[in-house]
Amino acid sequence: MSSSDGIGRLQAIEQQFDTERVSVVDRKSLEDTRARYLSRKSGLLTLELQNLGKLPKDQRAEFGRVANEIKLKIEGALELLQSTIDQREKQEALAKDALDVSLPGNRRRVGHCHPLTIVRKEIEDIFISMGYTVEDGPEVETAYYNFDALNIPVTHPARDPRDTFYVTEDLLLRTHTSPVQVRTMEKMQPPIRIICPGRVFRRDAFDPTHSPMFHQVECLLVDEGITFADLKGTLERFHKQFFGEKTKTRLRPSFFPFVEPGAEVDVSCVFCDGSGCRVCKGTGWIEVMGAGMVHPNLYGYVNYDAEKYTGFAFGGGIERYTMLKYNINDLQLFFQNDMRFLEQF
Amino acid sequence: MKVSYQWLKEFADINETPQQLGTRLTNLGLAVDALESHADDSLFELDVATNRPDCLSHFGVAREVAAAYGAALKRPGFELQEGAKPASEVFSISIADPDLCARYCGRYISGVQIGPSPDWLKARLERLGVRSINNVADVTNYVMLELGQPLHAFDADTLEGQEIIVRRPQLDEKITTLDGVERALNPSMLVIADSHRPVALAGVMGGADTEISAATRNVLLESANFEPLCIRKTSRALGLTSEASYRFERGADIEMARYACDRAAALIQKVAGGTIFHGVIDVYPNRRKPVTAKLRRDRIKAFLGSPVEDAAVERIFERLGFKSTRTPEGWTVDVPSYRLDVTGEVDLLEEIARHHGFDKFPATLPKWGGHGAGLPTESAERRLRNQLAAAGYTEIVPMVFSDEAAERRFRPDIEPVRLINPMAEDEAILRTSQLPSMLRTIQWNLYRGVRDLQLYELGKIYRQGSERRSLILALTGALRRKNVHEPEREVNFFDLKGDVEDLLNVFTMALHSNGDHVLPYYHPGRALRDGSLVTLGELHPDCAAEYKFKRPVYIAEIDAEELLESRQARPIEAIPKFPSIRRDFSLILNHGARYADVERAIREVKVAELIKVEPFDRLEAGPFSETQYALAISLTYQSSERTLTDDEVENFDKVILDSLKQRLGAELRR
Repeated sequence: MSSSDGIGRLQAIEQQFDTERVSVVDRKSLEDTRARYLSRKSGLLTLELQNLGKLPKDQRAEFGRVANEIKLKIEGALELLQSTIDQREKQEALAKDALDVSLPGNRRRVGHCHPLTIVRKEIEDIFISMGYTVEDGPEVETAYYNFDALNIPVTHPARDPRDTFYVTEDLLLRTHTSPVQVRTMEKMQPPIRIICPGRVFRRDAFDPTHSPMFHQVECLLVDEGITFADLKGTLERFHKQFFGEKTKTRLRPSFFPFVEPGAEVDVSCVFCDGSGCRVCKGTGWIEVMGAGMVHPNLYGYVNYDAEKYTGFAFGGGIERYTMLKYNINDLQLFFQNDMRFLEQF
Repeated sequence: MKVSYQWLKEFADINETPQQLGTRLTNLGLAVDALESHADDSLFELDVATNRPDCLSHFGVAREVAAAYGAALKRPGFELQEGAKPASEVFSISIADPDLCARYCGRYISGVQIGPSPDWLKARLERLGVRSINNVADVTNYVMLELGQPLHAFDADTLEGQEIIVRRPQLDEKITTLDGVERALNPSMLVIADSHRPVALAGVMGGADTEISAATRNVLLESANFEPLCIRKTSRALGLTSEASYRFERGADIEMARYACDRAAALIQKVAGGTIFHGVIDVYPNRRKPVTAKLRRDRIKAFLGSPVEDAAVERIFERLGFKSTRTPEGWTVDVPSYRLDVTGEVDLLEEIARHHGFDKFPATLPKWGGHGAGLPTESAERRLRNQLAAAGYTEIVPMVFSDEAAERRFRPDIEPVRLINPMAEDEAILRTSQLPSMLRTIQWNLYRGVRDLQLYELGKIYRQGSERRSLILALTGALRRKNVHEPEREVNFFDLKGDVEDLLNVFTMALHSNGDHVLPYYHPGRALRDGSLVTLGELHPDCAAEYKFKRPVYIAEIDAEELLESRQARPIEAIPKFPSIRRDFSLILNHGARYADVERAIREVKVAELIKVEPFDRLEAGPFSETQYALAISLTYQSSERTLTDDEVENFDKVILDSLKQRLGAELRR
């Protein structure tokens, strides 16, 4: 037996493998093929190598080299086939586990904060950031704190039982959160810098723009050197923060017994940016608050020196701000507590 | 109040369009609520503040407009032609109660011809929403709209005794007013009387007996000034308001009374003929005291934020009819009689700000060196709301007005805050608990097809003398609806209990059920109470039926103040270094033994390494007696110092199982 015959056979095996490898498509044919060529007992290549000893010594090296080369080639090819099959099987398994990801998610129920709470907190946070302290007070209030101490004369129409809920002649449901201002001023000397959010009551029938119960937030600042210009600046800052930086604030003269000068506060319409629309009745402005410089008479009730201190106060409805912020046109929605409304917040 | 653009132009030269004028009026504090355009005129609907009765007339509004434009203010032109005979010879006027009537002017006009008003007069009144009656009555209304002075015309021949007495009525006196209603009077009111009886309700409405009729020949014209509070009280007491009472209760210009009387007399003569007797019978017992106010120059900047030039200040005063005199510090100002709202420096500052223009002052932020803060309970409240929202609860804000019967159902012994003047019978008290408002909210949603509800309310409840914050949770329907991923899951008692436990845990509190008695509106076998802190359970089926609930409703009532004010800090423990060991047991128990008894029997042996006890299954029937049940529990042991050995753990088990057997007769199920 000569080495050239041996090498010829090796090459024949190689050729046979090259032909056969294309039919390796799965794990079984792979193992069969591996066994046919490389099995320790009966592999074609293994059998050939057993003949190595029969070759003349000088030819063994050459035969060995070629045989090893072919063995490495076959092993490499099988390894590649193996990994291809592994990959494919993994893909198939994953494909079998596929979900219809277009189905809707399985959402857990989450709760919602009431819009009036959301907006109240937002307003509180703005004022807290400007250095104000939040105060509260009773809802069943005395006529003294609700009216007298706020310079509201006995003749004032707001005191009428048609407008104010009375519990006794001297006890009533507060019609604004202003009594908290007086109670706070009684407790301490200036500087005072507070806001009072809270529930208030007026005898208005329940309709899209009125409610016998609603919520207000009021602000009071008393210190040395506080001016009407400070009132304007504070309102401007608050509204920019609440409605957005391009919001404009306008004050126009009005009357509230506890402030002077008194003003109605308008903001540029949040729906049309002031160009005029249905909501602002074409004026470009929406009324949001009452404001003014604290009337010096109030200082008399709480023993402040009206020569030394000046201050401002303003207040508005939380419902109103919420309606403007979320474009809600019916006040009743806040108190009906219909889930279809509440779950939108 | 409706104001005519054309009428205003008779008193002040206006070169602006109605729209421009409207903006100006609004900026002066006379807010234009609506602007109505007609071919020949424009009407402003003005919102006149209660402190500005001087603007309840065209002349008064024109004064503000003229001041704003710097234009001259013109008075209405008229010529008074009096006869020779003095009015005082045919009539006398006296004021018996000068505290309620400071001035009464009267004129006597004889030989008038009552008939319809001329078209110009009729048109002007009707345009402003005033019904035309007859020429004389129309003139009184016209002059009121023109000058702001309410007037009244009597048929002089129906007045007995040829006299007018202004007095308080006697107790049993009555009057039938122009609207045909007979009204009982009392001595806190004021009437105009002749020698026998009241003939008009002063400042509110005239009497039917003495009104101008087609047959009237002679007229007594009244132009008076009445005390605002008296008019207001009378008007409220009788439920009767009029254009006159509207003006008098805010305050009329006492110096206008005589001029308006002349003006109206002249106009009556013009439209109804007749002779105006000589002279006004002017009874003016309480002459107005001059009002002066001071304004300090430096106060303008200190109060308004920027100075205003002296010349500008003086110009504003002059145009508004305030006579100012310069002093070293600023000005002394004589306040005109029509400006009842101006008494002190701050009022003058307001006039300067208003007419100089609010927009002329800068916008600044106040200086401050302090800090802001929320309410003391603020952060606790945030934690509470976050926890509840995460647990799926939606916040509601219901009305706090309620019905006493509905509230008594839940709080039979609490005396509620009752309203004297509620909006409705079933809104006559403030709620004493949060239950009825919550149950009504559930009802509202169920009726609208929303059946799965998880709601909470953090709000006040009221009783006589106190109000406090309270929390209520409500749960009904399905926790999850059936969907493509999961089966349906109805809520149950333990869902609510778990939510309450989680909530208390936020505040480092635990729920204890010590068998405290629960109120009868709860299902007796499905509710528990932990002192005053929490009551929770299923609403009693009877109560649910009253609200027409078909499925169980679970309620938890929690004392919010106790929760929000708890200041217990949570100690955070280190993560254990050694493994824990869990052991499961199935116990056979008699039905009398509750889980709480089981846990107590386990805890009482005080195995320090026992870190958790958890029931994980319960069987009501099985290979045991009918009086028994099986409870599967797991015990978890862990030491912070070492890994526990099997021997140790087996010993723990034995001690615990012995205790269960000894105390509860619990057998281990094999």
